[in-house]
Amino acid sequence: MPSQHLEIRRSSASLRGSETGIRQLPTVSKYIDTTTCIGCKACEVACQEWNDLKTQHTQQTGSYQTMPALAADYWNLIRFDEREFEGGVTWLMRKDQCMHCADPGCLAACPAPGAIVQYSNGIVDVNPDQCIGCGLCATGCPFDVPKFHENTGKMAKCTLCVDRVEVSLEPACIKACPTGCLQFGTKQDMVALGEHRVAQLKANGFAHATLYDPPGVKGTGVVTVLAHGDHPEWYGLPRDPQIPWSVSFSKRFLRPLGLIAIFGTIAGVFGHFLRHGPKKPPEGEPPQPQPSTRA
Amino acid sequence: MREISTRAPVGSAPQSADAAVIKARHAEDVIVGEEIIRHRLLSRVIHWTVAVSMLLSLITGLPIWTPIFGWMAFLVGGLAVCRWLHPWLGIVFFASSVAMFAHWAKGMGMTKDDWAWIGPRLFLYMKAETDDSQVGKYNGGQKIFFFTSALAALALVASGVVLWFPLNFGQELRELSLILHDVTFILFTASVIGHIYLGTASEPGTFAAMTRGAVSKKWARFHHPRWYREVTGEKSQRF
Repeated sequence: MPSQHLEIRRSSASLRGSETGIRQLPTVSKYIDTTTCIGCKACEVACQEWNDLKTQHTQQTGSYQTMPALAADYWNLIRFDEREFEGGVTWLMRKDQCMHCADPGCLAACPAPGAIVQYSNGIVDVNPDQCIGCGLCATGCPFDVPKFHENTGKMAKCTLCVDRVEVSLEPACIKACPTGCLQFGTKQDMVALGEHRVAQLKANGFAHATLYDPPGVKGTGVVTVLAHGDHPEWYGLPRDPQIPWSVSFSKRFLRPLGLIAIFGTIAGVFGHFLRHGPKKPPEGEPPQPQPSTRA
Repeated sequence: MREISTRAPVGSAPQSADAAVIKARHAEDVIVGEEIIRHRLLSRVIHWTVAVSMLLSLITGLPIWTPIFGWMAFLVGGLAVCRWLHPWLGIVFFASSVAMFAHWAKGMGMTKDDWAWIGPRLFLYMKAETDDSQVGKYNGGQKIFFFTSALAALALVASGVVLWFPLNFGQELRELSLILHDVTFILFTASVIGHIYLGTASEPGTFAAMTRGAVSKKWARFHHPRWYREVTGEKSQRF
């Protein structure tokens, strides 16, 4: 549901948001430490409960994962992957949900004014009142997050519990986490926490540990500590997520060019009419055929 | 030389009815009084099915394309209605385009002269500086528009189906369809604007060919001299 309290920084299919700048809010972020996640799924349950999502049958996919993928009424999923290394195996678990990109591809692709908004605290939300269920946001999303809900005919995804955050509560998933691998705060604080943890991991033999905060989408509202940061795809994360070129190309290039082409043609035919006027047969009878010239 | 009497036979339509319109229910390329039947009823019904479904697709598609045309969505009841209606209108547009192609393809064979319309010939035509004495029922520009329209219908339906059910297709196909649908509709819309202009204000007498189905002999002699000669059997030059 759209927030009644937060100003809008950016809105889909609109050149501007409604943020006045009177109430500046810090950008918020989730912090996910995949190295201390125990895969208990408390965050999944908390998400379902708080957001009043229909209880799902779990699906056995041959692993500890609850579902094969995110769904329209399953917004929070612990992805599980088992990797073999020299001398043993490791379990990779990552909490998957909307990444709340600073430059959201869903918002860029959405054709319905106000159907996807970014609040002044950085949360990206779907407004079902405006959503037309076209699914273009799914094409724009580099993380494959928005899902079509068959019952409502609208798109659905994690709201970062905007209804809790706007009244100074942490998101439900964060509240439920028993190990502290999930934290919530300002983006600045969460990045600092993540960098501290990455330094710890590096000192403990994880040379490639990183904080996943991809610059291709100008950073995300979910920062993720990865022990094997050189292989984000092991965690189901794209290496360099970007807004798809086709979405940017169509909105930023084809759209203005198309408007020029269409209005230009209209102007052109008016101009032609003014310059040349209607094309009429000359008055009078046509000349009789000349046998000599036609022979 | 086939000539149809303008006098209606006894027991059929009354004298006051438009003889050309009555004749144009079935016949094409025949003379009725001072007029020639250019498009019989079936041709016109096919044309207007394509045209109306195309324009309605445009009205329901443009607000999805850019909020600049958002006001158009209210004509049909909002953007959500557009999202539901646009694909169905697209299906009607495609189906009628297929019928149109089948109906007209025979007379649309491109000659060497017709191909020259892709280029300066078209601009000279627009300046009324060309020798059109060998132009038959359709000129090169009309034939090219015919094939443009058929190709556009094909590209729009192919990309449109993907955009209709995006979540059933892969990411690459969805992105490709987004671009293809945009590019095709922009080029096609611009062509249609030119088509409408040439069929109305630019060339008086042309619009009646698609409404009543008939054109004046004078019009035919001026715009389509070879067709005029074929229909009337006259050997007269253009003017």
